[in-house]
Formats: sequence, C-alpha cells, structure tokens
Amino acid sequence: MQQEITPASKPSLKPKTLNQANAKGFNLHVNDKWYALAFLGPSVLILGVFVFYPMLRTLYLSLFLTNNVGRPTVFIGLKNYVNLLTSSAYQASLQATAVYVIGVVAFTLILGLLLAQMAVRKLAGIQWFRTIFSATMGVSVSVAAIFWLFIFSPSIGLFDQIGTLLHLPLVQWLTTPGPAMIAVIISTVWMNLGFTFLILFGALQMVPQPLYEAAAIEGASPSYQFFHVTLPMISPTLFFTSTVTLIGAFKSFGLIDLMTAGGPNNATNLMVYQVYRDAFLNGNYGLASAESVILAVIIALFTLLQFKFLEKRVTY
Amino acid sequence: MTTKNGSQQRLLILGAILVAVIAAFAGWSVMSKPAAQAQGAKRTKVVFWNEMTGPAQQQLNTFVKDFNQSQSKYEVVSEFEGNYNEAVQKIINTHGTDASPAVFQSMDISTSQIHHTGYTTPVQKFIDEDHYNVNQIAAGARAFYANKGTQLSMPFNTSQPVLYYNATLLKKYKITPPPVNPSYSDITRVATQLTDRSHKKVQGMTVEIYGWLFEQFMANAGVSLANQEDGHAGTPTAVNFTNAATVKTMKWIQDNLKKGDFVNYGAGANAQNNETASFLSGRLGMFMQSSASIGQLTTGNQDQLGITYYPHPDGQKSNGVAIGGASLWISNDKPSNVQRGAWEFIKYLMTAKSQAQWQVATGYLALNKDSQKEAVLQNLYKKLPATKVPGEQLRAATPNATNSGIFLQGLIQERNLTQTAMEQIYNGSDIQKSLATAQKSMNAYIQGNNRANGY
Repeated sequence: MQQEITPASKPSLKPKTLNQANAKGFNLHVNDKWYALAFLGPSVLILGVFVFYPMLRTLYLSLFLTNNVGRPTVFIGLKNYVNLLTSSAYQASLQATAVYVIGVVAFTLILGLLLAQMAVRKLAGIQWFRTIFSATMGVSVSVAAIFWLFIFSPSIGLFDQIGTLLHLPLVQWLTTPGPAMIAVIISTVWMNLGFTFLILFGALQMVPQPLYEAAAIEGASPSYQFFHVTLPMISPTLFFTSTVTLIGAFKSFGLIDLMTAGGPNNATNLMVYQVYRDAFLNGNYGLASAESVILAVIIALFTLLQFKFLEKRVTY
Repeated sequence: MTTKNGSQQRLLILGAILVAVIAAFAGWSVMSKPAAQAQGAKRTKVVFWNEMTGPAQQQLNTFVKDFNQSQSKYEVVSEFEGNYNEAVQKIINTHGTDASPAVFQSMDISTSQIHHTGYTTPVQKFIDEDHYNVNQIAAGARAFYANKGTQLSMPFNTSQPVLYYNATLLKKYKITPPPVNPSYSDITRVATQLTDRSHKKVQGMTVEIYGWLFEQFMANAGVSLANQEDGHAGTPTAVNFTNAATVKTMKWIQDNLKKGDFVNYGAGANAQNNETASFLSGRLGMFMQSSASIGQLTTGNQDQLGITYYPHPDGQKSNGVAIGGASLWISNDKPSNVQRGAWEFIKYLMTAKSQAQWQVATGYLALNKDSQKEAVLQNLYKKLPATKVPGEQLRAATPNATNSGIFLQGLIQERNLTQTAMEQIYNGSDIQKSLATAQKSMNAYIQGNNRANGY
C-alpha cells in the first residue's frame, strides 16, 4: 500500500490506506508526526534539559581545569583521568567502594532472603513480624544515621556497653578505619533490609504451593527444596533486587556523610563522596566531573555484566 | 477502535495535566515575585546570607531586627544558608542573578577564594568614603581579611583557638594548673599527672584531628604553611608541611598518644561532640577548641572552667595564633544604594554595643576595642573571669605574616589533606612520610589551580 502513494498524490485524498480504520475525519498518516512531537516533546525536553545536557556537560568539563568560579579554562585532555587513576588516594577510594558495595549487596540479599523465608511461614503473630521486618523502609537516612551513631558511640554506645559487660576489648567503631567500614556497611544493610525483605517476601508467596507438595512427595529435604524449587522460582526477583541494591550501594551518600564524612583516614571515602567533596567543598568541578564519569562507567559496566551473566541463570 | 480512542484520550489528559502543572509552576514563580518586591517597595532591600546556628543565629536575627527598626532607608533580609563549606559554592554560583546576596558571611579560609572570584567590592572602598575609624577594630582580626593594605571584608564572628582545662578536677588531684601561656611540656605534665593520679579514670588531653588546629600549631611556632609568606606577599606555589616545627609538634602528640596520656577522639563534628561531652562529664581533663565554645562549656557546668592560650613549642616564645570564624563581604553585582545599605548594616554590627552583646551571647570575641567598657561585657568577666583569656590572647599577638591566616585558595583541600595525615600519625604511622604525602597532593592541587586561574 505504501508504494502506491506517489509524491504527487495527496495522501489525504487516497480513499483506502492502512490508517483508514482509525481515521475519522482526518488522516493520521499526515498528523502522526505532530502527534509524535506533541507526546514525545515534553519528555524529550525534560530529559534533554535534566539528563542529556548535564551528561554531555559533565563529559566536557572532565577534560578541563576549572577556575575558582567553576568555569573551564585550561584544556588538559584526559589528564584528570590519568591523575585520578594513578593517585593512591583515588585507588584507595575505589577499593573502599568495592568492599562497601560487595558487603552491602551480599548481606542485604542474604539477610533479606532469610527474613523473607522466616516470614513466609504461617505462624501465629507472623503479621507482626512481617511489619517489623519491613519497618526500615519508613526510616529516613538522617534518623537512621543518628540511631546508629548512638549505637556506635565510643562513650555511651550500645555496642561498647555490651562489649564491656562481656569483657571484650573496646572498639572505637567510627574512629578506626576497619571498624568504621564495618559500621557503615551494617547501617546501610539495615536501611536496605526493609525494601529487600518486602520484595523477596512477595516473590516467595508467589511460588506455587503444588511444587513444594510434589517435591515433598518425592522425598526432597527442605534444603533441597530451597535450592531447587524456591531459588529458581524467585530468581527474577532476586536478580532485580541485586541490581537495585548494587546501584544503590554505589550511590550511597547520606549515611556516609552523617556517620563518618569519609573518614577516618579516608577509609569510608566512597567514590560518590569524593565527587561531592571535590565539587561542592573544593570547587574543583573538572576533577569532580571526571570522577562522576568514572563512577557512571563502572555502574554501567556492572549492570551490564549482571544482565549478561546473572540473567542467564534467571528462570522466568 | 474504542480502546485506541480511549488510550488517546488518556494520553491527551495526561498531556493536559503536564501542561497544567508546568503552567502552575510558571505562574507561581511569576506571581511570587511582585509580592516579595512589594514588601521592600519603600525601603531598599538588602539580602544578607549567613551560616550561623544556635545562639549565634538568634542574636544575629535580633541584630537584623534592631537595625531595621533603627532606620527607615534599608530593609535587611537575613537568610540562613547552611554550613560554611557549601555556602561558598552557593555564593559563587548565584552571582549575577536575582538570587545572589548583597552582603554575605563567608568563613575564614575562603578569603583568598572569594577575593579572587572578583565578585566583591572590598570594604576598604566604604571605609575610605566614610573615613570610618578602622583602628577601633582589633588589628589581628583585620589583618586576616586584608591583602596588601586593602581591607577586603569586615571580620565578624571571630574566635581564637584556646586550651580548656577542668580547674576543679586539677584541684581534686592536687595538680598545679598550666600557666596562661603554656609550652608543650607544661601540657604534657598536666596530662600525665591527671592520667596517673586518677588511675586512668580521667583522660589527660586530646587534640582533635582538625586542620585548623594543625595550622595554628604552625602559626604559633612562627612557621609559614605556604610560601610567599603564607600568601601575603604573592600567590603561593607550594606548601611546607614537613618543616621541623610541625614534625616536632606531631611527634609530641604521637608520643603522648602512645603513652596513653593523650587520647584520640577522631575528626569532624562527632569528635567535637564527644570530646565536649567527655569534658563536661569530668572524664577528660584538657582539650583545644574555638573560644566560641565557652558558652556551651559554662552553661550547666558544675566544675570550674580554666582557659589558657594555645600551647607553643618549648624553647621559644609564642608567635600568636590566627583567628577563626568568618567575615562579611559586599557583593559587586548590586546597585550602589544596595551596597550602601549593606555597609550601613556592617557598621551597625561592628559598634561597641553590638559587639559586646555578640560576645556575651555567643562566645565570639568583641572586636570593637570600646566594647570592653560596655556593662554587659564587664558583667560577664566578673561572673566568669576565664572568658577574658581569648580576647587577651588576640590582643597580645602582633599581627605578622605567619599568624594572620593563609592567603591561599583551596584551604578546604589543605585541611582535608592535613587531617588525613594527622589521622595516620595518630594511628602510629611515620610522621615524615604522612606529612610528605599530604604535601605532595597539596602542591599538585595548587599547581593545577594556579594554572586554571592563570596566575
């Protein structure tokens, strides 16, 4: 049909086109360009102004030295990137981010699944536990930070009081590098747990009961059932939560800022925190832009890898 | 067909909602403007940005209210802008727009950066126009915000780093208090005696991991942190963290930490809160902090508070420390009548009466020399004699290149780096190596920054 329309002929005069059924009084074929523009326009505009332009601008800025009012002045090519990747401080930041992200993702998923597996059992009062397990979803970052700061506080902290009772050596949680990292991981996992629990709990409830019955008849042990029935059935959800948690962990800022501010000795100075420091404290926009680009590339890479390898093992 | 039409309709409705929301926002921003302008129609509106919290914020708001009532030409509108660090970037990023302030408060270490933006009019211009008697303002504070004889901004909330000790605790353990201008070994003696005689129930001393304190150790030893005489003679090209005086100071702290006579409270706001809490509960004998903490340390404190000057290295006289705090700047993107209003407001804040009230309410020092005669301040001294000490320390030092601040851009970075070095040293790392690492990073930063700004 399309070939029949010659440049000379006016499409609106064509009596029979594919669009005839839809076109009452006007021809969509002529107007659909405008429709497309009208409907896509707002989102293109908003994405362009708030996503694409900033992205390109960040890329551009990352190739410059910026002066004290944030304008790019000296073009230095990839020097920002080279300086960053060869600096031991930035390498330490990369390493800290890796430890943090792996810790957060692993513990969030394992503990979330454990809680969900417990909550899915039909016991008296289980509703109460389900509410408690998902409660951290309603806690804001600032409240959580204050709460955990009290727990980790060196003089009045809960952890150290328990430690004293058990005659364990006193741990300066937030002022020694190793424990500080553990402390922020614990706090972040706790924050994430509510959401992860709720999603996984939903997935567990969706697993058809007959599968378990069949497995039980076959004489499969509970752990065999878990690994060969439950896990494959909830694998799409598990994949979703792992991706979301991973990206979230890379972007963690609030808890770090409020609990350790990147210290002690830069032990919890994650990549996002370094970007914030360089842009909003040091006013070093060129360097901060380069750091943002590196962070974006790493997140994209990990997400891609996750899709490539994990998705193959996902049973939909 | 109906479903298609239905979905089209839905899309149209969605589009209409979107347009309505955008229109509402646009309308709101248009509508809100005349309303704001109408208020200041008769008076010239002067927007004032500040970063004060707590009692200082309350007192500042009182000043603004009193100033607005005292005259009918200007209306100062005070706006709180969060913490010092973030305010600097906000000031820079809003310059030239309607949102920018006419007069703003910016922290001590941003002085060189703010000046070099070229976004401000030095207050010197108004001092000259008015033949304002600048000598009534403390010289040590003025020197910090001046460059080559030009007063760039007016010192406002000004503090001195001092050493606090719990006089009641010292009496209890029969320890002679440190002299008013102590050396390092005076402090070591008191810390050791406190730790020993209390059988470790009382921690002797802590030096917070804080770049400001690091800078003051150098200032008091008379050593430049940056070359070009700490930037007062020209643009610095390098810093010197690895000098003998600094190494000696760091060794003093590290040795005492190892012995257990000093303790480490870490860095940042948490450290500050924790050391203050320990001090107030009688578990920490001495610590160093801004004189602006006096208010917090005297209200509700049963024990007697002792204050000394900042400790100096053994075998030399103290050179004096630089002030801390912030100053008031006048933006140059506002018409001259607004700038005039800003200057009138600054003058109001600097009167002997305002400054005396300021010190009583906040612990920041009264900078006007005549404030010392004001009754409110006299009453405070009578009630708490120790509060005299920080002002005396400020007046005792003769301003010179090493105790008038560092005129260098990127001091936030410098503090970050020196704090990292301090953290490493406190945890037992090699002093020379830690300082050298920080120095190398800072020099690279300075080089890039000088190049970007074409110095």
